[in-house]
Amino acid sequence: MDALIARADAIRPLSELKAVKTRDSGKGKAKANSKGKSKDTSTSNSDYTLQSISSHANVPKSLAPLDPSSSKSKNDEVPKYNHIANKKLRSQLVHQHALNSNLSKNALETQQNLLSLAADDAGSIQVTGPLEKTWRISQDEIVASVGGEAAKGRRELTFGPGQGAKRMKWSQNGRHLVFISGKGGTKVSSVDWMGGNVNCEVDLLAGSNLAGAGGNGGGGEAARDVTFLQDQSFFAVAQKRNVFVYDRDGVEVHRLNNIIDPLRLDFLPWHWLLVAVTNSGHLSYTDTTTGTQIAVHRTKLGACNTLTQNRHNAVVHLGHQNGCVTLWTPNLPKPAVQILSHMGPVTSISVNPSDGGSAGSVNMPGRYMATAGRDGKIKIWDCRNWKGVVREWAVRGAGDVELEWSQKGYLGVLSGGSVNVYHPPHIVTPYTGSSSSAAPPLYLSHPIPHKPLQCLRFEPFSDVLAIGHNKGLSSILVPGAGEPQFDSLEADPFENAKARREREVKGLLDKIQPDLITLDPSMVGKFDSAALSASGSSLVATAAQSLLDKSDKVKWGANVQVKNVGVDVPFSRMKRVERLAVQGKLDTTGAGDDSEDSDVEMKEGGDGDSDDEAGLSREEMSKKRKMRGKNKSLKRYLRKQRKNVVDPQVLAVRAKVDRMREEAKAKKLQMKAGGAGEENKRKSALDRFKAGSGK
Amino acid sequence: MVKISVLQHNPALHVPIRPGDPTPVQRNLNPSMHPFAKARERTRALNAAKLDKIFSKPFVDSLEGHIDAVEVLTKPLESLTTVASGSWDGGLILHNLHTRSEMLKLPQAHKGKISGLCFADPKGSRLLSCGVDRNVRLWKVGTGDGEDDSGASSQEPLHVYPWKTSFNSIDHHRSDPLFATASSTVQIWDETKSAPVSNLTFPTSNETVSSVRFNLAEPSVLASVGSDRTFTLYDIRTGKAERRVVMQFRSNALAWSPTLPTMALLASEDHNLYTFDVRHMAAPVQIYKGHVAAVMSCEWAPTGVEFVSGGWDRTVRIWSSREAGGKEKGPGGREVVYHTKRMQRVTSTIYSSDARYVLSGSDDGNVRIWKAKASDKLGVITARERASMEYRESLVKRWSVDKDVGRVLRTRHLPKSVYKAGQLKHTMLEARRVKDERRRKHTRAGEQKPVAEKKKTIITEQS
Repeated sequence: MDALIARADAIRPLSELKAVKTRDSGKGKAKANSKGKSKDTSTSNSDYTLQSISSHANVPKSLAPLDPSSSKSKNDEVPKYNHIANKKLRSQLVHQHALNSNLSKNALETQQNLLSLAADDAGSIQVTGPLEKTWRISQDEIVASVGGEAAKGRRELTFGPGQGAKRMKWSQNGRHLVFISGKGGTKVSSVDWMGGNVNCEVDLLAGSNLAGAGGNGGGGEAARDVTFLQDQSFFAVAQKRNVFVYDRDGVEVHRLNNIIDPLRLDFLPWHWLLVAVTNSGHLSYTDTTTGTQIAVHRTKLGACNTLTQNRHNAVVHLGHQNGCVTLWTPNLPKPAVQILSHMGPVTSISVNPSDGGSAGSVNMPGRYMATAGRDGKIKIWDCRNWKGVVREWAVRGAGDVELEWSQKGYLGVLSGGSVNVYHPPHIVTPYTGSSSSAAPPLYLSHPIPHKPLQCLRFEPFSDVLAIGHNKGLSSILVPGAGEPQFDSLEADPFENAKARREREVKGLLDKIQPDLITLDPSMVGKFDSAALSASGSSLVATAAQSLLDKSDKVKWGANVQVKNVGVDVPFSRMKRVERLAVQGKLDTTGAGDDSEDSDVEMKEGGDGDSDDEAGLSREEMSKKRKMRGKNKSLKRYLRKQRKNVVDPQVLAVRAKVDRMREEAKAKKLQMKAGGAGEENKRKSALDRFKAGSGK
Repeated sequence: MVKISVLQHNPALHVPIRPGDPTPVQRNLNPSMHPFAKARERTRALNAAKLDKIFSKPFVDSLEGHIDAVEVLTKPLESLTTVASGSWDGGLILHNLHTRSEMLKLPQAHKGKISGLCFADPKGSRLLSCGVDRNVRLWKVGTGDGEDDSGASSQEPLHVYPWKTSFNSIDHHRSDPLFATASSTVQIWDETKSAPVSNLTFPTSNETVSSVRFNLAEPSVLASVGSDRTFTLYDIRTGKAERRVVMQFRSNALAWSPTLPTMALLASEDHNLYTFDVRHMAAPVQIYKGHVAAVMSCEWAPTGVEFVSGGWDRTVRIWSSREAGGKEKGPGGREVVYHTKRMQRVTSTIYSSDARYVLSGSDDGNVRIWKAKASDKLGVITARERASMEYRESLVKRWSVDKDVGRVLRTRHLPKSVYKAGQLKHTMLEARRVKDERRRKHTRAGEQKPVAEKKKTIITEQS
């Protein structure tokens, strides 16, 4: 039997051994010293056993759980979580923290390695002195200096007067471009920009250029907007009647009948939602995986010509004719945010997809929004704080201003006869100079002689800016605008057909439910603190709770506070503190509140004591009023007597109560006066015994 | 002089050099490049949880052959495939789990029920059986491996140990040629002698012992449970009972933990399982509630972390023992429940030696093979598949607190009878609790204290 127990002791985990030790030492204080000694030797024996087997019981490093204690010795940042009473939870948290810090450290290292490899790829313009201005550099100079393959990004496509690109959209990976061109916007083309091939051209004027495509599809209709769906294999076109979906070869595959007279389109790639806003001001969300329309919102703000998405929270930004910008999610029938941004129609909106450019920046991606209005203003907004603009400036030139933010946070502005590009850090830094509406320093400027200029789009993962104008489509080079390092698992310009199919399947599996679209994308995976606090307010304290004084509350924390209320908490489910409190055995005598405790009994008298009740909370007061005192029977007697009955006995009793009240008051005053002296006395070590004896 | 550079990708770095080469992968871990990473991971976790449910098909096979209800199952220590089962009609079958065939079939090994079975050596070449016909029989069985010279099994027992009373349970000593039987007393037998070497009994006891098991680490210690609602420990060196506890209800089966030497598991008549640390028998270490009828059998997994139990409620349940460092095993932190339409009262359950399968013998005369992990994939698993399984597993674990993922994990289908019985049981227990509360409320404060659930189960501890 003993041998068995000895063996078992050796096998117990170290943490339990420690507990045994401390327990033993606690007992040892009371017991004889020799006994404690013998126990110590027994535990050390088991340690030997442990040491002897530990070398054979090693798990391979890859399989071993990460030891939080080892990492603790390396960096002291691991929090101790001492405030958490649950030992198991505490160790779990420490472990998780160590794991996370290691992971993030590794990720950071990997990232740095990756970036150092890619750093030389990024485009840039380096000037030698303050007198050299980057905006003086023309496209010809850039093309001449970079040469080679990169120079091929600069292209001029001419379609003819009035037949230039009206709207365009890049695919997720920046390889393909779809645009509307032709007379009156009746031609939609999808091109492989990098490969230099044309995927398809759909001529809406000709109508049935494709046999068996459903016939009346786009017959003689002008296209208003176009967007790729999940990749280049499908694109949706907003035509006069409906939204039509075409495949890579230009075959009409779907007609969305329930979207009538659409003006603008966009696609939310992670949610697989096609967003369309119509001439009547309806915003509709269509799930492209099932083809169902999951939400239609009436904006009530008339025809809407501006639609953009925040890629980081899938919120749709609409710009309206009255100068309002509204933010929509499929779950809210009203805009999540509505701001009056311009004194005139909003012509363009863009959300900054970058996190601020510099590596150490704390900006969250998708924080800044740029709007342009027909009032000739460009405004930068902070999406976390809508109180005022971060920066605004006026643009010259006639016509609608178009703008877009590149992946790296360069802002391209199309106004008048030229395109201007601004730097990242200056756009979003509030301007503090005398003139509140100074434009940020210009990065690049490029005049285009074919007015009107209609749209501009930065190519993802490239330094190319495509501009649609009256006569065609031109692309310019903006060094530094594109993200140099793409992630093959997210978007890869060089992917082959197999990878594309794989990505499509993975994307479908990872499709996020539209319910999860909120202004704050980090909401997922967090505790709903609002709900918690709401329920906390409705949660009532138990009987024990109100008995606990403030110091106890601090000591026991939330454990004691949060309890189901309304429901009578059974005794067996209470915490020990609560049980003690209910049984009246809880020692509520703190060091500081002896004097207060002593006058609990006095207070039941009534109104006279209100002066010192002010310090106590209402809850405590109500509790104290309920408390039964010595005079209970007397009071009951009084209560039972009618006040208007003049009875000598009652009068006598009333007099007695008054007298007692007076006495109590006097006593209290006296104690208050002597309170300072008592407090001085309390400093002595022996006074701790007094409290008990006094009770 | 202005220095201008423009981003250009080198296509040679991003496409495979030759056809058939893997496509080069480039990563960018910047969070702004991965919008909705968390939300997408949650979706993946939800899918993983659903896949886990879809793939959970725990039933593997059923081994037939017995005419009457299966009473006992046993396996040798060092064999993965051999399992012996004994039935109420006295039939004894040696199964091969790999081929699902009968290596040996003795239709009349005993007259009447076979109540106990155990292998006499780790290899499994000799088998001891006891029955209500008041005999213990030692059988020579072929392991079927071919390496043993005694490849052929004999239809006749090697040895018969007759006695005056019928036996309820039998267990062999780990190393010595000794075995213990349970009848009205616990008897220790030497294999070479025809009468028991010693009689072990608690001085004041007059009970029928229902199960007896040798400790695995300290083989001279053995434990028994009996009809007196007792759990008794004996030492065969001293030849007497060391100590015992009397519980509220009797236990039906007993198993020692293979990793924690002092840990014993009891399957009790009160629908619960108890783990006891024999050093502190005043209260069980843990109570495992879940069965809705008496638990008839229990057995630890060789890992010592999980254990399986079979009950009168026609379910097999797999638990994770928390004191052995087991994680919350089942979905939603509950035990895993296996059941089929045709499975009757489960009388015996064992784990296979590789801890991947669970076997159950039931009243319907079948021995069923179940996967220990319901959604386990049998057969060859490629490295990629394994990796994705592990990823899914960790995803589910990480997101199990999520509302939707948790709901998928928690949802389990129970037979209506079991579900209703559980509801009824809950109602009854709740009523009892409420009554206790009320009674306490109306007694003087602090006079009647509630007893801890663990302490309630123990009536007394004797030594």
